[in-house]
Amino acid sequence: MEQPAGLGYSTPHTTALSNGLPLSLLPVPDSPVACLQFWCSAGSAVEQAQEHGMAHFLEHMVFKGNEKLPAGAFDWQVEASGGISNAATGFDDVHYHVLMPKEALPLACELLPRLVLQPEIRAEDFVLERQVVLEELAQSEDQPEEQAFQQLLALACGEHAYGRPILGVREQLLQQTPQQMLAFQQRHYRAQTCAVSLSGGFDLGHVQQLLEASPFAELPGTTGIDPQQPGLKVQPGVHALELPRLESARLLMLWSAPPAKEMLALSGTDLLTTVLAEGRSSRLVRCLREEKQVVESIDMDVHALEQGSLVILEAICPSDRLGEVHQNVCAILRQLQQQVPSATELKRAKRLLDHGHRFAMEGIGSLAQHLGQATLMKRLEPLEEPLSRWHQWQAEDLQQLSRDLDPDLACTLLVRPK
Amino acid sequence: MAARLVLPLGSAADPPGQAGLHQLLAGSLTRGCGSHDARSFAEWIENQGASLRCEAGDDHLQIMLKGVGSDRHVLLPQLLEMVEQPAASDDQIELERDLNLQTLQRLEEDPFSRAQDRLRQLMFGDGPYGHDPLGTTASLQRLSSQDIVNERPRLANRQAFLVVSAAHDQALADGLEQRLQRFAHDSVKAPQPLAQGDCGWSADPLDTEQTVLMLGFRSLPVQHADALGLRLLQVHLGLGMSCRLFLRLREELGLVYDVGAELAMRRFDSPFIWHLSTSADQASSALEALLDEWQRLLDEPLATSQLELAKAKLRGQEAMGRQTGAQRAERQAFCQAYGLPSDFHAQAMKQLDSISAMQLQQVAHRWLQQPCLSGSGPAASLHRVEQRWQQRLSRCLSPAGH
Repeated sequence: MEQPAGLGYSTPHTTALSNGLPLSLLPVPDSPVACLQFWCSAGSAVEQAQEHGMAHFLEHMVFKGNEKLPAGAFDWQVEASGGISNAATGFDDVHYHVLMPKEALPLACELLPRLVLQPEIRAEDFVLERQVVLEELAQSEDQPEEQAFQQLLALACGEHAYGRPILGVREQLLQQTPQQMLAFQQRHYRAQTCAVSLSGGFDLGHVQQLLEASPFAELPGTTGIDPQQPGLKVQPGVHALELPRLESARLLMLWSAPPAKEMLALSGTDLLTTVLAEGRSSRLVRCLREEKQVVESIDMDVHALEQGSLVILEAICPSDRLGEVHQNVCAILRQLQQQVPSATELKRAKRLLDHGHRFAMEGIGSLAQHLGQATLMKRLEPLEEPLSRWHQWQAEDLQQLSRDLDPDLACTLLVRPK
Repeated sequence: MAARLVLPLGSAADPPGQAGLHQLLAGSLTRGCGSHDARSFAEWIENQGASLRCEAGDDHLQIMLKGVGSDRHVLLPQLLEMVEQPAASDDQIELERDLNLQTLQRLEEDPFSRAQDRLRQLMFGDGPYGHDPLGTTASLQRLSSQDIVNERPRLANRQAFLVVSAAHDQALADGLEQRLQRFAHDSVKAPQPLAQGDCGWSADPLDTEQTVLMLGFRSLPVQHADALGLRLLQVHLGLGMSCRLFLRLREELGLVYDVGAELAMRRFDSPFIWHLSTSADQASSALEALLDEWQRLLDEPLATSQLELAKAKLRGQEAMGRQTGAQRAERQAFCQAYGLPSDFHAQAMKQLDSISAMQLQQVAHRWLQQPCLSGSGPAASLHRVEQRWQQRLSRCLSPAGH
């Protein structure tokens, strides 16, 4: 097995605050910036029946502040120090980040926990910010491609949380109350279901002291164990959809893949999708875009998720070629089961993934993101480990995984302009 | 390792009726060079695990390459070969053209992209900067592979330069330098943009929930002495969650989710664009609020706290923009492409201290007098927007205004 070169970083330092909140810290001595991130497993997947959209709505409301940190004060202080901040909500988690010039990191360590852990959820703010969330929803619904993807997830995942839009649905958002949101926050923002990560230019000992003295250390422990979420079962089938304002047709196919914790198996899926659809030498791109010239683009992405990952293929093509594209994609996927990747294909895929990971880990924000998510999910490992996993795969070992990408196992959506 | 090869062949130099020529030329560079045909070239690049992009912006054509540092001895010479010996065949150029046509068609799905295209047209008409570098459907259909082949000799351009962010290797640098010195073609200067037309409004009726509004100003050349001041105004208005447009339109009025202001620096009149999207029935209120902010910039100097905030954000951007090799290469390429000193960014940070709120108000007066507005959304909403726009504009531009 080829041994990949290291990434040039020290091993992340892992520890926990006195309340059990896990920390991962990676000093990068020559970096002029530092990134502090707070992660919590309160993504949309933990929402209960009347809470759809609440994880994301709460993320918005957090920025409305509290008695000690009024609305806008956080943004003003961070940005007046030359920093930037933002947040994002996914199916499995929500995270908040601050990227600062390294000199301003103590301020970030003070402000971020004060903002994130003590939202006040005032009624008037709640009503105003709900309007903003509804605008975000409307903006998303005005993109036909977004509508198509949402429909694909709903068809494939059915009643599972991954089938629901993270932004929620208008009717439910209008029914929700500040009290419900506070209850949601207090249920999920707990030391054992959260994590903090930090990367960039900082002194390890000093930062640990800052964090221990911050409100992060006051985050209460868990009240109990959340009920186990059901595993994802993708519902195979072929569906059609017509959308107004769509200019090009889309072929969307979705398969289930191993859950994020099964990292070795998932790394094999990474390799297969790279062989199939990354670059002009990949099987699907070469056949459909370069030779038959029937698609504008075709790609496959692996979305690593806790209750079952998703592999999603998207091909964009003229409407009158959609059937032909579908047939060809199915044929190439079936052929993959018979014809495992050649040595050249596998080597290329390994290099593309290896180098992509190296580029991604160059940014301080990306490093903190990688550390934060891995720490939250309790699977932090050396940063080089993904490289080792990709490099250990042999072509014949990928054969079983290639059967998981059989077209008959996919939820397929053929989308045409209306 | 990150590298950029920059050529003075942007889409501003697309000849009349051939919009999209330089983007097509850029795309064709990835489809073969030297002894490599399209397929073997793609295999070669991908086997290195490298990523390669070729794009025409308004002012320049750039080839951007990323790979691991140990591969630089093979990747960088190949980068030069792409412009020394471009070899895309006719059918490969036609494929690239068809892909660009399909992309143009798909972009019509996006209300933001549509509004931006129409705003470009309002500000710059059919001349330079007036079209997406991809071109238009009509102009692309007219382009032939021969048009691209005819352009190829211009690639080995005397003004071409290469920026590399990687461990230094003198022998490699010398070899690349010698090859660049053999580039002998003198490019014709890109023409200046046409004068702005009278009509400052464009409506694009769409069956959507939201209306997208874009307010645009033709502003200054990148080298102008007011450029730093205008950049500060852009940061004040549109950068981050403490910016003026975000605070007013989103936090105070709850009218928008997405709002911002972008200043894309160009050799000539840089477009300064303020943008938002809002529910169709709120569009005229959102326009009113946007125009209030425009008027405020003209009428009032920034408060000291706002000025200091804008300066701090710009200093922060300076630190953020130096994180990765690709970012550092991009910044250096920007300076060199526009004839700015290599310490341009450091100098700008020093100049920041001396800029006053009064000076910024004067900058606003010099460059933000003649706005254009483009809207994409439901017809009834656009009709109300147009009425409000006409009322406000007649008030603002009358002799008794502000």
